[in-house]
Amino acid sequence: MNSKDTKVLASPKRRLLIQSAASIAGVSSLGFPAISLAQNKPIRVGMPTILSGRVAMLGQSSGNAANMEVERFNASGGFGGRKIELIIRDSKGQPQEAARVARELVTSDGCEILIDAEASSGAFAVHEVARDLGVLVIHTCSETSSLTADPKLRTPMAFRCARQGVHDAIIGGAYAAKVAKEKNLRRWMTCSPDYAYGRDTTAEFAEYLKFFNKDVELVGEAWPKLFQADYSEVITRLLQVNPQAIYSCLWGGDLTSFIDQSNIYALFSGKQFFSVNAADYAVLTNVKNVPLGLHSGNRYLQSFPNTPANTNWSSSYQGKFKDLPLNWAWQNAAAVQFLTAAIKKAKSTDGKKIAQALEGLSIDSPFGANGKLTLRADDHTLVDYALAWGELSGKEPFMKSPVPGSWKQITELEAEWKKRKGFA
Amino acid sequence: MGTGLIVGSLLFLVAAGLTLIFGVLGVVNFAHGTFYMLGAYLALTAYRLTGNFAMAVLAAGIGVGLFGFLFERFLMRRVYKADVLMQLLVCYAVVLIMDDVVKIVWGAEFLSMGMPESFQAPPFFIAGGVVPVFYVYLIAAAMLIALALWGILTFSRMGKIIRAAAQNPTMTSALGINTSLIYAAVFAFGGVLAGLAGGLAAPVRSMSPGMGFSILIESFIVTVIGGMGSVSGALVGALLIGLIRSFGTIGFPLFVEGLMFLAMVLILILRPNGLLGKESRA
Amino acid sequence: MKSHSTLRHDIGWALAALLVLSLLPLLTQSRVTLDFVIRLAAFGIFASSLNILVGYGGMVSFGHAMFFGSGAYVFGLLMQKTQVSIPVAILGAIAFSGLLGLLIGAICVRLKEIYFSFLTLAFQMLIHSVILSWTSLTGGDQGLMGGIPRPPFLGINLSDHTTLYWFSCALGVVCLLLMRIILQSPFGATLRMVRDSSERAAFLGIDVWRIKLYAFILSSCMASIGGVLMALFVSGAFPDFGYWTMSGDAIFMIMMGGLHVFIGPVVGAGLLLLFNDIITRTTEYHGLALGLVVLLFALGFKRGITDFSLELLQKINRKGGKT
Repeated sequence: MNSKDTKVLASPKRRLLIQSAASIAGVSSLGFPAISLAQNKPIRVGMPTILSGRVAMLGQSSGNAANMEVERFNASGGFGGRKIELIIRDSKGQPQEAARVARELVTSDGCEILIDAEASSGAFAVHEVARDLGVLVIHTCSETSSLTADPKLRTPMAFRCARQGVHDAIIGGAYAAKVAKEKNLRRWMTCSPDYAYGRDTTAEFAEYLKFFNKDVELVGEAWPKLFQADYSEVITRLLQVNPQAIYSCLWGGDLTSFIDQSNIYALFSGKQFFSVNAADYAVLTNVKNVPLGLHSGNRYLQSFPNTPANTNWSSSYQGKFKDLPLNWAWQNAAAVQFLTAAIKKAKSTDGKKIAQALEGLSIDSPFGANGKLTLRADDHTLVDYALAWGELSGKEPFMKSPVPGSWKQITELEAEWKKRKGFA
Repeated sequence: MGTGLIVGSLLFLVAAGLTLIFGVLGVVNFAHGTFYMLGAYLALTAYRLTGNFAMAVLAAGIGVGLFGFLFERFLMRRVYKADVLMQLLVCYAVVLIMDDVVKIVWGAEFLSMGMPESFQAPPFFIAGGVVPVFYVYLIAAAMLIALALWGILTFSRMGKIIRAAAQNPTMTSALGINTSLIYAAVFAFGGVLAGLAGGLAAPVRSMSPGMGFSILIESFIVTVIGGMGSVSGALVGALLIGLIRSFGTIGFPLFVEGLMFLAMVLILILRPNGLLGKESRA
Repeated sequence: MKSHSTLRHDIGWALAALLVLSLLPLLTQSRVTLDFVIRLAAFGIFASSLNILVGYGGMVSFGHAMFFGSGAYVFGLLMQKTQVSIPVAILGAIAFSGLLGLLIGAICVRLKEIYFSFLTLAFQMLIHSVILSWTSLTGGDQGLMGGIPRPPFLGINLSDHTTLYWFSCALGVVCLLLMRIILQSPFGATLRMVRDSSERAAFLGIDVWRIKLYAFILSSCMASIGGVLMALFVSGAFPDFGYWTMSGDAIFMIMMGGLHVFIGPVVGAGLLLLFNDIITRTTEYHGLALGLVVLLFALGFKRGITDFSLELLQKINRKGGKT
């Protein structure tokens, strides 16, 4: 709207201006339906996430990465001049708040698309809201397989652009089985946080470890509480049972404390430690002493895949936010990349059309195992992302010799896993 | 068994402050977890600046002591006469505010201090168990502080006045003793203890906004079990909780939390004044 | 008799409220406003139920969320796993929570003051631990997943948003009216007497324990209805519903709204929800913002807003009145 025209506006147009201003301000609870101003109407994308409390990094890195991609898209002209407007709200990690925030973003703030950067319980809540309101939702932080694997939860307009627990378990199990054969690691013990993610992930890993190497034996399990500060009794137990290898899916601050505390007990001397979430910059920059024999899967590493695309993306992120990107960052960046690609492919911003375009869509991406990422058509989940396991050191490139996972292997075993779970 | 001592000694320091504040002022300091959190963060910064762990812990204790003093002077003092719910409201407001202040000052991501060089020696082997050097110092430090606390409360004039105020506040003020100074001192004490605990634990913890939550709940359990107002009760309670934790992971991995609350329930039903508690305050 | 006129008075208010609320969807298309009222109904019932204990009974419970949670979970489980209709599931949730209230209340109401508070907190955390550990039944930390089915009953289809709104309003008003009637009845008067001086009440031959227990059971049943509404709204149940932060929220609603006026908790619920929504929309530092607001109430008003207004009104009346 040309400012010169403001004085000369006839009243209906003026009301229109005020209405749009009111709905944009978001203060009006009597939201008038947002009336389209044709070309320049922004594409509103809502992002419920966690910006406070223990997991605040999740929201911060998700929001940063998403914003970076959105700005790139807008700078290159957007969609026929229309720019994406990303609205990020804090659910404080409470699922009912996540549901409320998601609803508000759609019904009051005019968001036609949701990028859900909630952790698993919040993601289920937002999933129901999206189902209820019929909006497109891309989950970017939930790794719980059932979100997309369970046919009861599937909807045509929900997608997951994030790694999946079972994929990590297959690759991790294969790698660990190999190392176990090489180093004759027969006695294993697990130490994972006692909640759904911890239990499911550990069980899946153990399953595939045994599948690839029949000689391993699980001699004990420890289940510390999530966000438990003190691990001394767990470490003492690990020392008593004295396994040859330890597996853990502890993450973030918990993993850092666990490693720090284990070091002063000299827990890892003579043992191999398989920690699926260790190759994460938040952990690697905080752990003061990376023990020998620490193996991990890559959450996000700028050195894997070792391509200019990946290193450039990481440098841009660091330049903008003065921080290293985390696992959540790449997942959200990829989601926005998918979204923009789908909008261009569908030539529309209608949720249904975008959803159809997303199904089976492959895009070029710095995070792909072979330069490409795909949203699988049958269950709407992300595949072909770069997965690798390797031994860690205390400084860049942290994982010197990554062993990439095979997607052929994953696809086969995942199909069989789904059948067993009754998901197929 | 030894691990119970580690958790227990830190918990004791925090709970001692909580129980002291309740004993003397009749106030449940719901912001006590925030005191602990501040201690940890202050120690982190002090360590980064000085490179000396002892200085860091001291800085934490003094810093939080000061915070406790200010908290009492400007906030809690206004709601002594109001009922417990208003006090809860004030404390909770401070918790919310400080969680965000910490987020603003130190950032949202978790931070870790790392083990000071002097403690990086290989662990001791005592009685067939592994005991890291750091924990020996930690327990020793906690016991020393406990001893100092006992000494102050038993022998010093301030300590005697505090105990008198805990027993009989009206009489104490009738004797012309400045109770408002006492109250400020007690809150400061509680702050010092919680701050020292936060500082001592810092090398083996990850700091993040909101980390005060869990130790607050555990301190409640300890003070209830030990007896609200009894410092020796807090010691017994803390060691008990430490014990439950160390056995809990072996026996009932899923239900350690539940066990602790069960203990709390049992004490409240069978012996509401706690194991070593005195008469409940009116 | 006085109680007769308050009954008519109360029913009048209830009908008026129902009328205004039912017209709201015709005045605005904003789903957010209707969502707000639905949440207000859930939390208003929850907070008012707690006030039966706190304001009217003098028993400060820190663990009231256990009944909010039990209502939500039992309702959700019945709808997900059995074929019962929604009204039956609601009754099931109320019955279970009432039973839970009976068992826990029987133990808790013996204790006084802070010990009562801590015991209720302990029981609630125990139940919360059970919810978290019993993953096969409750879904553990992820809660009941997959949504709660809403088969139509008696021609009412709660999958339709506006119908859910009307249902929540109706349920909210009915529950509040019921609580009001009970609290204005002789039972309510006895409860207040017990609150003011249990010794005197006992001396008068009142079974103090029994009265307190009845109040506890009543409040637990009502709290569960709040939980049911919340479960319907988010189409799920989460362990957060039974966590002490939820109990804390209810206490803040009562404190900010006012303990001594019946409608206080509902006003407080509205205030807290409003602050929460506005703060979340505008700033990242909601702890700071909400904390400052709460401090304003605690140190500034020093009491809930309806209590404050009532006292103000009384002061004005006294100044302008005969005395």
